[in-house]
Amino acid sequence: MTEVDNFTEQIINDKNKTNVRCQFCNSLMLKALEGKYCEQEIDVPLMEQKKDSAVDSLNTETLRHFWQIDDMMTFENIGFSHTVDGRKFLVCADCERGPVGYHELATKRCYLALQRVVHSDK
Amino acid sequence: MAKTYDYLFKLLLIGDSGVGKTCILFRFSEDAFNTTFISTIGIDFKIRTIELDNKKIKLQIWDTAGQERFRTITTAYYRGAMGIMLVYDITQEKSFENIKNWIRNIEENAAADVEKMLLGNKCELNDKRQVSKERGEQLAIEYGIKFMETSAKASINVEEAFLTLASDIKAKTEKRMVLYKVFLFNQCLLLQEANNPPKGGHQLKLTEIRTKDSWLSRCSLL
Repeated sequence: MTEVDNFTEQIINDKNKTNVRCQFCNSLMLKALEGKYCEQEIDVPLMEQKKDSAVDSLNTETLRHFWQIDDMMTFENIGFSHTVDGRKFLVCADCERGPVGYHELATKRCYLALQRVVHSDK
Repeated sequence: MAKTYDYLFKLLLIGDSGVGKTCILFRFSEDAFNTTFISTIGIDFKIRTIELDNKKIKLQIWDTAGQERFRTITTAYYRGAMGIMLVYDITQEKSFENIKNWIRNIEENAAADVEKMLLGNKCELNDKRQVSKERGEQLAIEYGIKFMETSAKASINVEEAFLTLASDIKAKTEKRMVLYKVFLFNQCLLLQEANNPPKGGHQLKLTEIRTKDSWLSRCSLL
Protein backbone atom coordinates (compact mmCIF):
# COMPACT_ATOMS: atom_id res chain seq x y z
CA MET A 1 0.00 0.00 0.00
CA THR A 2 1.26 3.47 -0.90
CA GLU A 3 1.22 6.08 1.87
CA VAL A 4 -0.49 9.43 1.23
CA ASP A 5 2.74 11.32 1.99
CA ASN A 6 4.47 9.61 -0.91
CA PHE A 7 1.86 10.34 -3.57
CA THR A 8 3.55 13.39 -5.10
CA GLU A 9 6.67 11.44 -5.97
CA GLN A 10 4.56 8.94 -7.94
CA ILE A 11 3.33 11.62 -10.33
CA ILE A 12 5.21 12.79 -13.38
CA ASN A 13 3.51 15.13 -15.89
CA ASP A 14 0.17 14.24 -14.30
CA LYS A 15 0.76 10.53 -15.03
CA ASN A 16 1.85 7.54 -12.96
CA LYS A 17 5.66 7.46 -12.95
CA THR A 18 5.98 3.70 -12.40
CA ASN A 19 3.97 0.53 -12.93
CA VAL A 20 0.97 0.04 -10.65
CA ARG A 21 0.70 -3.33 -8.90
CA CYS A 22 -1.42 -5.29 -6.42
CA GLN A 23 -0.24 -4.68 -2.85
CA PHE A 24 -0.83 -8.35 -1.97
CA CYS A 25 0.41 -10.42 -4.90
CA ASN A 26 2.34 -7.86 -7.00
CA SER A 27 0.24 -8.59 -10.08
CA LEU A 28 0.79 -5.93 -12.75
CA MET A 29 -2.35 -3.81 -13.09
CA LEU A 30 -1.30 -0.72 -15.02
CA LYS A 31 1.86 0.20 -16.86
CA ALA A 32 3.71 3.45 -16.21
CA LEU A 33 2.27 6.63 -17.75
CA GLU A 34 -1.09 5.01 -18.56
CA GLY A 35 -3.10 6.66 -15.77
CA LYS A 36 -3.92 10.34 -15.29
CA TYR A 37 -3.74 11.71 -11.76
CA CYS A 38 -7.00 13.14 -10.42
CA GLU A 39 -8.40 14.19 -7.07
CA GLN A 40 -11.99 13.66 -5.97
CA GLU A 41 -13.71 12.57 -2.78
CA ILE A 42 -15.27 9.14 -3.29
CA ASP A 43 -16.53 6.61 -0.78
CA VAL A 44 -15.06 3.22 -1.59
CA PRO A 45 -15.98 0.04 0.33
CA LEU A 46 -13.28 -1.30 2.62
CA MET A 47 -11.45 -4.42 1.49
CA GLU A 48 -12.53 -6.28 4.63
CA GLN A 49 -16.20 -6.29 5.64
CA LYS A 50 -17.96 -7.79 8.63
CA LYS A 51 -19.42 -11.16 7.70
CA ASP A 52 -23.06 -10.13 8.34
CA SER A 53 -22.98 -6.76 6.59
CA ALA A 54 -25.24 -6.50 3.57
CA VAL A 55 -24.21 -4.75 0.37
CA ASP A 56 -26.40 -1.73 1.27
CA SER A 57 -24.82 -1.25 4.69
CA LEU A 58 -21.21 -1.12 3.61
CA ASN A 59 -18.25 -0.01 5.62
CA THR A 60 -16.58 2.52 3.41
CA GLU A 61 -13.79 5.05 3.57
CA THR A 62 -13.35 8.28 1.63
CA LEU A 63 -10.52 8.16 -0.89
CA ARG A 64 -9.16 11.25 -2.64
CA HIS A 65 -6.31 10.29 -4.95
CA PHE A 66 -6.89 8.28 -8.10
CA TRP A 67 -5.38 7.29 -11.43
CA GLN A 68 -7.98 7.93 -14.09
CA ILE A 69 -8.09 5.44 -16.97
CA ASP A 70 -10.44 6.32 -19.84
CA ASP A 71 -10.36 2.98 -21.67
CA MET A 72 -10.61 -0.18 -19.56
CA MET A 73 -8.48 -2.04 -22.08
CA THR A 74 -5.54 0.08 -20.99
CA PHE A 75 -5.16 -2.15 -17.93
CA GLU A 76 -2.68 -5.00 -18.08
CA ASN A 77 -4.58 -7.24 -15.68
CA ILE A 78 -7.70 -6.30 -13.72
CA GLY A 79 -11.04 -7.74 -12.62
CA PHE A 80 -14.46 -6.07 -12.68
CA SER A 81 -17.17 -6.84 -10.14
CA HIS A 82 -20.87 -7.02 -10.93
CA THR A 83 -22.60 -3.65 -11.05
CA VAL A 84 -23.72 -1.91 -7.85
CA ASP A 85 -25.47 1.47 -8.26
CA GLY A 86 -23.95 2.23 -11.64
CA ARG A 87 -20.44 1.26 -10.61
CA LYS A 88 -18.30 -1.83 -11.02
CA PHE A 89 -15.49 -2.28 -8.53
CA LEU A 90 -11.96 -3.04 -9.64
CA VAL A 91 -10.10 -6.01 -8.15
CA CYS A 92 -6.77 -7.69 -8.67
CA ALA A 93 -7.07 -10.16 -11.57
CA ASP A 94 -4.84 -12.66 -9.78
CA CYS A 95 -5.64 -12.68 -6.06
CA GLU A 96 -9.01 -10.91 -6.37
CA ARG A 97 -8.42 -8.62 -3.44
CA GLY A 98 -10.21 -5.33 -3.68
CA PRO A 99 -11.84 -2.98 -4.35
CA VAL A 100 -8.77 -1.12 -5.59
CA GLY A 101 -10.97 1.38 -7.40
CA TYR A 102 -14.10 1.56 -9.49
CA HIS A 103 -15.50 1.78 -12.99
CA GLU A 104 -18.24 4.29 -13.70
CA LEU A 105 -20.71 2.87 -16.22
CA ALA A 106 -22.07 6.28 -17.27
CA THR A 107 -18.68 7.70 -18.29
CA LYS A 108 -16.92 4.34 -18.90
CA ARG A 109 -13.97 5.70 -16.94
CA CYS A 110 -11.98 3.74 -14.38
CA TYR A 111 -10.47 5.13 -11.20
CA LEU A 112 -7.68 3.30 -9.43
CA ALA A 113 -7.05 4.44 -5.83
CA LEU A 114 -3.38 5.25 -5.15
CA GLN A 115 -3.85 4.27 -1.54
CA ARG A 116 -4.88 0.70 -2.37
CA VAL A 117 -2.08 -0.26 -4.75
CA VAL A 118 1.69 -0.22 -4.82
CA HIS A 119 3.87 1.72 -7.23
CA SER A 120 6.83 -0.31 -8.38
CA ASP A 121 8.39 -1.26 -11.68
CA LYS A 122 9.37 -4.70 -10.41
CA MET B 1 -5.04 8.00 -27.22
CA ALA B 2 -3.17 5.44 -29.28
CA LYS B 3 -3.98 1.81 -28.65
CA THR B 4 -1.26 0.01 -26.76
CA TYR B 5 -2.20 -3.47 -27.95
CA ASP B 6 -2.54 -5.37 -31.20
CA TYR B 7 -5.60 -7.52 -30.60
CA LEU B 8 -8.60 -7.67 -28.30
CA PHE B 9 -10.41 -10.99 -27.93
CA LYS B 10 -13.62 -11.60 -25.99
CA LEU B 11 -13.69 -15.10 -24.53
CA LEU B 12 -16.50 -17.00 -22.77
CA LEU B 13 -16.59 -19.99 -20.46
CA ILE B 14 -19.54 -22.33 -21.07
CA GLY B 15 -20.63 -25.59 -19.48
CA ASP B 16 -22.88 -27.12 -16.81
CA SER B 17 -23.07 -25.70 -13.30
CA GLY B 18 -20.45 -27.10 -10.98
CA VAL B 19 -17.86 -28.10 -13.55
CA GLY B 20 -15.49 -25.48 -12.19
CA LYS B 21 -15.83 -22.73 -14.81
CA THR B 22 -15.81 -20.11 -12.12
CA CYS B 23 -12.68 -21.61 -10.59
CA ILE B 24 -10.93 -21.50 -13.95
CA LEU B 25 -11.48 -17.76 -14.06
CA PHE B 26 -12.02 -16.76 -10.44
CA ARG B 27 -10.95 -18.10 -7.10
CA PHE B 28 -13.34 -16.64 -4.54
CA SER B 29 -11.87 -17.00 -1.14
CA GLU B 30 -13.08 -16.08 2.30
CA ASP B 31 -12.19 -17.05 5.82
CA ALA B 32 -14.60 -18.02 8.57
CA PHE B 33 -15.07 -14.58 10.13
CA ASN B 34 -14.61 -12.02 7.45
CA THR B 35 -15.85 -11.94 3.95
CA THR B 36 -14.35 -9.71 1.38
CA PHE B 37 -16.69 -7.21 -0.19
CA ILE B 38 -15.85 -8.64 -3.59
CA SER B 39 -16.83 -12.22 -2.79
CA THR B 40 -20.29 -10.93 -1.81
CA ILE B 41 -21.05 -9.12 -5.04
CA GLY B 42 -19.04 -11.37 -7.37
CA ILE B 43 -16.82 -10.76 -10.36
CA ASP B 44 -18.27 -10.03 -13.78
CA PHE B 45 -15.23 -10.28 -16.06
CA LYS B 46 -11.48 -9.91 -16.18
CA ILE B 47 -9.02 -8.27 -18.49
CA ARG B 48 -5.74 -10.07 -19.03
CA THR B 49 -2.82 -9.15 -21.21
CA ILE B 50 -0.74 -11.79 -22.92
CA GLU B 51 1.96 -11.72 -25.56
CA LEU B 52 2.13 -14.05 -28.55
CA ASP B 53 4.71 -13.71 -31.35
CA ASN B 54 5.56 -10.20 -30.15
CA LYS B 55 1.92 -9.15 -30.41
CA LYS B 56 0.20 -7.75 -27.36
CA ILE B 57 -3.21 -9.34 -26.88
CA LYS B 58 -5.91 -8.22 -24.47
CA LEU B 59 -8.29 -10.94 -23.35
CA GLN B 60 -11.67 -10.03 -21.90
CA ILE B 61 -12.90 -13.19 -20.18
CA TRP B 62 -16.51 -13.71 -19.06
CA ASP B 63 -18.12 -16.34 -16.89
CA THR B 64 -21.81 -17.21 -17.25
CA ALA B 65 -22.38 -16.31 -13.58
CA GLY B 66 -24.85 -19.15 -13.03
CA GLN B 67 -27.10 -18.24 -15.97
CA GLU B 68 -26.55 -21.76 -17.28
CA ARG B 69 -28.63 -23.15 -14.40
CA PHE B 70 -31.72 -21.72 -16.04
CA ARG B 71 -30.64 -22.44 -19.61
CA THR B 72 -31.01 -18.75 -20.31
CA ILE B 73 -27.73 -18.22 -22.09
CA THR B 74 -28.84 -16.15 -25.00
CA THR B 75 -27.58 -14.25 -27.98
CA ALA B 76 -26.77 -11.23 -25.81
CA TYR B 77 -24.16 -13.17 -23.84
CA TYR B 78 -22.57 -14.56 -26.98
CA ARG B 79 -22.46 -11.20 -28.78
CA GLY B 80 -18.98 -10.31 -29.92
CA ALA B 81 -17.47 -13.51 -28.51
CA MET B 82 -14.51 -14.73 -30.53
CA GLY B 83 -13.58 -17.73 -28.41
CA ILE B 84 -15.45 -20.17 -26.19
CA MET B 85 -14.08 -22.59 -23.61
CA LEU B 86 -16.45 -25.54 -23.33
CA VAL B 87 -15.91 -26.99 -19.89
CA TYR B 88 -16.97 -30.33 -18.40
CA ASP B 89 -16.05 -32.09 -15.17
CA ILE B 90 -14.18 -35.39 -15.65
CA THR B 91 -15.91 -36.73 -12.50
CA GLN B 92 -19.41 -35.93 -13.84
CA GLU B 93 -20.50 -38.03 -16.83
CA LYS B 94 -23.61 -35.85 -17.30
CA SER B 95 -21.56 -32.68 -17.74
CA PHE B 96 -19.64 -34.43 -20.54
CA GLU B 97 -22.84 -35.59 -22.26
CA ASN B 98 -24.20 -32.05 -22.08
CA ILE B 99 -21.30 -30.66 -24.09
CA LYS B 100 -23.27 -31.65 -27.21
CA ASN B 101 -26.18 -29.50 -26.02
CA TRP B 102 -23.88 -26.58 -25.31
CA ILE B 103 -22.40 -26.83 -28.78
CA ARG B 104 -25.94 -26.74 -30.22
CA ASN B 105 -26.66 -23.67 -28.05
CA ILE B 106 -23.51 -22.02 -29.38
CA GLU B 107 -24.44 -22.85 -32.98
CA GLU B 108 -27.86 -21.27 -32.45
CA ASN B 109 -26.66 -18.13 -30.70
CA ALA B 110 -23.02 -17.35 -31.36
CA ALA B 111 -21.22 -16.26 -34.51
CA ALA B 112 -20.70 -19.21 -36.84
CA ASP B 113 -16.93 -18.81 -36.88
CA VAL B 114 -16.38 -18.57 -33.11
CA GLU B 115 -13.27 -20.51 -32.06
CA LYS B 116 -14.04 -23.31 -29.59
CA MET B 117 -11.97 -25.45 -27.26
CA LEU B 118 -12.95 -28.38 -25.02
CA LEU B 119 -11.69 -28.58 -21.43
CA GLY B 120 -12.03 -31.59 -19.12
CA ASN B 121 -11.65 -29.90 -15.75
CA LYS B 122 -10.86 -31.28 -12.27
CA CYS B 123 -8.21 -33.65 -13.65
CA GLU B 124 -6.62 -33.70 -10.19
CA LEU B 125 -9.51 -35.94 -9.05
CA ASN B 126 -8.33 -38.99 -10.99
CA ASP B 127 -9.77 -41.50 -8.48
CA LYS B 128 -13.27 -40.12 -9.10
CA ARG B 129 -12.92 -40.00 -12.85
CA GLN B 130 -15.98 -40.96 -14.91
CA VAL B 131 -14.87 -39.65 -18.30
CA SER B 132 -11.65 -41.00 -19.78
CA LYS B 133 -9.21 -38.66 -21.45
CA GLU B 134 -9.67 -40.63 -24.70
CA ARG B 135 -13.40 -39.86 -24.79
CA GLY B 136 -12.64 -36.16 -24.39
CA GLU B 137 -10.11 -36.33 -27.21
CA GLN B 138 -12.57 -38.24 -29.40
CA LEU B 139 -15.35 -35.68 -28.89
CA ALA B 140 -12.99 -32.84 -29.68
CA ILE B 141 -11.96 -34.57 -32.91
CA GLU B 142 -15.65 -35.03 -33.82
CA TYR B 143 -16.18 -31.29 -33.58
CA GLY B 144 -12.80 -30.41 -35.03
CA ILE B 145 -11.72 -28.46 -31.96
CA LYS B 146 -8.79 -28.63 -29.54
CA PHE B 147 -8.86 -30.44 -26.21
CA MET B 148 -7.05 -30.26 -22.89
CA GLU B 149 -7.54 -31.66 -19.43
CA THR B 150 -7.21 -28.95 -16.80
CA SER B 151 -7.17 -28.51 -13.07
CA ALA B 152 -8.12 -25.07 -11.86
CA LYS B 153 -7.42 -26.24 -8.32
CA ALA B 154 -3.91 -27.51 -9.05
CA SER B 155 -3.25 -24.88 -11.74
CA ILE B 156 -2.69 -27.47 -14.45
CA ASN B 157 -3.03 -26.34 -18.08
CA VAL B 158 -5.34 -23.39 -17.33
CA GLU B 159 -2.97 -20.75 -18.64
CA GLU B 160 -1.92 -23.02 -21.50
CA ALA B 161 -5.56 -23.45 -22.50
CA PHE B 162 -6.14 -19.69 -22.70
CA LEU B 163 -2.90 -19.21 -24.65
CA THR B 164 -3.89 -21.94 -27.10
CA LEU B 165 -7.36 -20.50 -27.69
CA ALA B 166 -5.97 -16.96 -28.06
CA SER B 167 -3.30 -18.19 -30.45
CA ASP B 168 -5.91 -19.93 -32.65
CA ILE B 169 -8.10 -16.82 -32.75
CA LYS B 170 -5.06 -14.73 -33.63
CA ALA B 171 -4.13 -17.06 -36.51
CA LYS B 172 -7.71 -16.95 -37.79
CA THR B 173 -7.84 -13.15 -37.53
CA GLU B 174 -4.54 -12.70 -39.34
CA LYS B 175 -5.59 -15.08 -42.11
CA ARG B 176 -8.78 -13.09 -42.53
CA MET B 177 -6.84 -9.82 -42.65
CA VAL B 178 -4.75 -11.17 -45.53
CA LEU B 179 -7.89 -12.23 -47.38
CA TYR B 180 -9.42 -8.81 -46.76
CA LYS B 181 -6.34 -7.07 -48.12
CA VAL B 182 -6.46 -9.26 -51.22
CA PHE B 183 -10.14 -8.37 -51.59
CA LEU B 184 -9.39 -4.64 -51.25
CA PHE B 185 -6.53 -4.96 -53.67
CA ASN B 186 -8.81 -6.55 -56.25
CA GLN B 187 -11.43 -3.88 -55.72
CA CYS B 188 -8.79 -1.23 -56.26
CA LEU B 189 -7.64 -2.96 -59.39
CA LEU B 190 -11.18 -2.95 -60.78
CA LEU B 191 -11.68 0.70 -59.85
CA GLN B 192 -8.41 1.68 -61.42
CA GLU B 193 -9.28 -0.09 -64.63
CA ALA B 194 -12.77 1.43 -64.69
CA ASN B 195 -11.43 4.94 -64.18
CA ASN B 196 -8.43 4.65 -66.47
CA PRO B 197 -9.16 2.21 -69.26
CA PRO B 198 -5.83 0.97 -70.55
CA LYS B 199 -4.74 2.87 -73.60
CA GLY B 200 -2.57 1.57 -76.34
CA GLY B 201 -2.85 -1.94 -74.99
CA HIS B 202 -0.89 -1.09 -71.85
CA GLN B 203 -2.17 -3.20 -69.00
CA LEU B 204 -1.41 -2.25 -65.43
CA LYS B 205 0.60 -5.05 -63.95
CA LEU B 206 0.50 -6.29 -60.38
CA THR B 207 4.10 -5.26 -59.76
CA GLU B 208 3.47 -1.75 -60.96
CA ILE B 209 0.59 -1.26 -58.58
CA ARG B 210 2.49 -2.71 -55.66
CA THR B 211 5.15 -0.07 -55.99
CA LYS B 212 2.61 2.75 -55.98
CA ASP B 213 2.38 2.89 -52.23
CA SER B 214 0.51 6.15 -51.84
CA TRP B 215 -2.09 5.05 -54.29
CA LEU B 216 -2.55 1.72 -52.53
CA SER B 217 -2.88 3.25 -49.11
CA ARG B 218 -5.55 5.59 -50.44
CA CYS B 219 -7.44 2.61 -51.72
CA SER B 220 -7.37 0.78 -48.43
CA LEU B 221 -9.19 3.69 -46.83
CA LEU B 222 -12.20 3.19 -49.10
